[in-house]
Amino acid sequence: MGVLSWARAKSIWVLHFNSGGCNGCDIEAVAAFTPRFDAERFGVLLVPSPRHADALLVTGPVTKQIKDRLIRIYEQMPEPKFVIAFGTCACTGGVFKGSYSTCGGVDKVIPVDLYIPGCPPKPEALLNGIAELMRRVRGG
Amino acid sequence: MWWIPGALAFFIVFAFFIEWVDRRFVARLQDRYGPIYTGTGGVLQPWADFIKLLSKEDITPAASDKVLFRLAPLVLPIFPIVGLCLTPILGKPIIGFDGDLIVAFFLMSVYTIMIFIAGYGSGNSFGIVGGTRAALQMLGYEVPFALAMIGPAILAGTLSISEIAYSQSNIWYAIPLALGFAVFMVCSLAEVDVVPFDIPHAKQEIVAGWETEYSGRKLALIHLAENLEMVFISALATALFLGGGYGPFSPPIPPAVWFIIKTLIVAIVISNLRAIFARFKIITLVEWSWKYLLPLAIVQLLVLELFFELGVIPWP
Ligand code: SF4
Repeated sequence: MGVLSWARAKSIWVLHFNSGGCNGCDIEAVAAFTPRFDAERFGVLLVPSPRHADALLVTGPVTKQIKDRLIRIYEQMPEPKFVIAFGTCACTGGVFKGSYSTCGGVDKVIPVDLYIPGCPPKPEALLNGIAELMRRVRGG
Repeated sequence: MWWIPGALAFFIVFAFFIEWVDRRFVARLQDRYGPIYTGTGGVLQPWADFIKLLSKEDITPAASDKVLFRLAPLVLPIFPIVGLCLTPILGKPIIGFDGDLIVAFFLMSVYTIMIFIAGYGSGNSFGIVGGTRAALQMLGYEVPFALAMIGPAILAGTLSISEIAYSQSNIWYAIPLALGFAVFMVCSLAEVDVVPFDIPHAKQEIVAGWETEYSGRKLALIHLAENLEMVFISALATALFLGGGYGPFSPPIPPAVWFIIKTLIVAIVISNLRAIFARFKIITLVEWSWKYLLPLAIVQLLVLELFFELGVIPWP
């Protein structure tokens, strides 16, 4: 399984999904793919279709309205798949915690593999998280 | 005959190598680095992507046409591979005969039609839009593309790709046929679906276009086919316009080396164009191909005829 886990770790394609955040996290997440941070160095690509993705990068506290779409997108992804909760909202609900219209975090809806807290987290934090994910995939 | 499996393996290795060169080159133009940590300098990145995709779950959507959906990605890489067998990329072609230029052109058309079938068979609305766009785009660029390829055939007096490549020992056909070469390059951008004309899988508009529903193994084969198509078009440009295997110090240096270097340069030019342009609208592409590319290709043929009549170039 050496080659397989190597290939999986070196080629994590990310689908970005905003589940009702304030857009702060999205700007920071996309910044990780700009020339300054360039996540493509590690083989990470931003892909447009859930069918192509390995990791789902969710930002925002998951509003009640978007919950079904999030589940559907998650189910459209082929195995093995990972979910990255990006931002405090996505981890716990953040400033929207206790609100009547949100579910309060991605892990209330779909299983999460990696939490990246911060409001919003820096792009470096995303790169750190991806490195952690790569290490975990590599480890088996 | 013993070298044929090696040649096929070489095509695939070279296709992945070109994908890496393309990604690195575009990244450098955009002030990024591109993949650098996978293997030495990132050369193994396309291999990692390919192996990962092969190992992923393969989803067949309920709404898809099962036969087309399964068949299209399997058939897709065959066309560029057969096309590469016609070009003298390794010094001599694997299968070369008089008239293979027409076969090469046919293979390119069928490749695009297969893309349409792949999009159509996926049963996804974005897939169908992408596939339709691919077919519509073909209506635009195909005629000028064919006319541009006729120029070298007239100059060499043969329809065999390798004979055309061998007949350029004195002059590269890109010099007398500069206009035709330009038309060829513009149309080849549309043929390989790179950025100015990546209308069939416009990321920002229609998710991933005709590839939207493909996952796992099928996507791996589709990416392989796209890379091979890039190599095929670059090799065709080299054989028809850039002197094939001829180059300085050609007797000590084998023609295959020059051919591969030139193919690489054409691929780099294509990825350069990919980095500096924004996407055209489908209507602009079709309109411009009929308004500008087609007349330019015809003018090129007329100029060629004039050269013959005036005796600037002897009749083949
Ligand atoms: S974590 Fe902060 S920046 Fe991110 S979506 Fe929530 S409120 Fe906005």
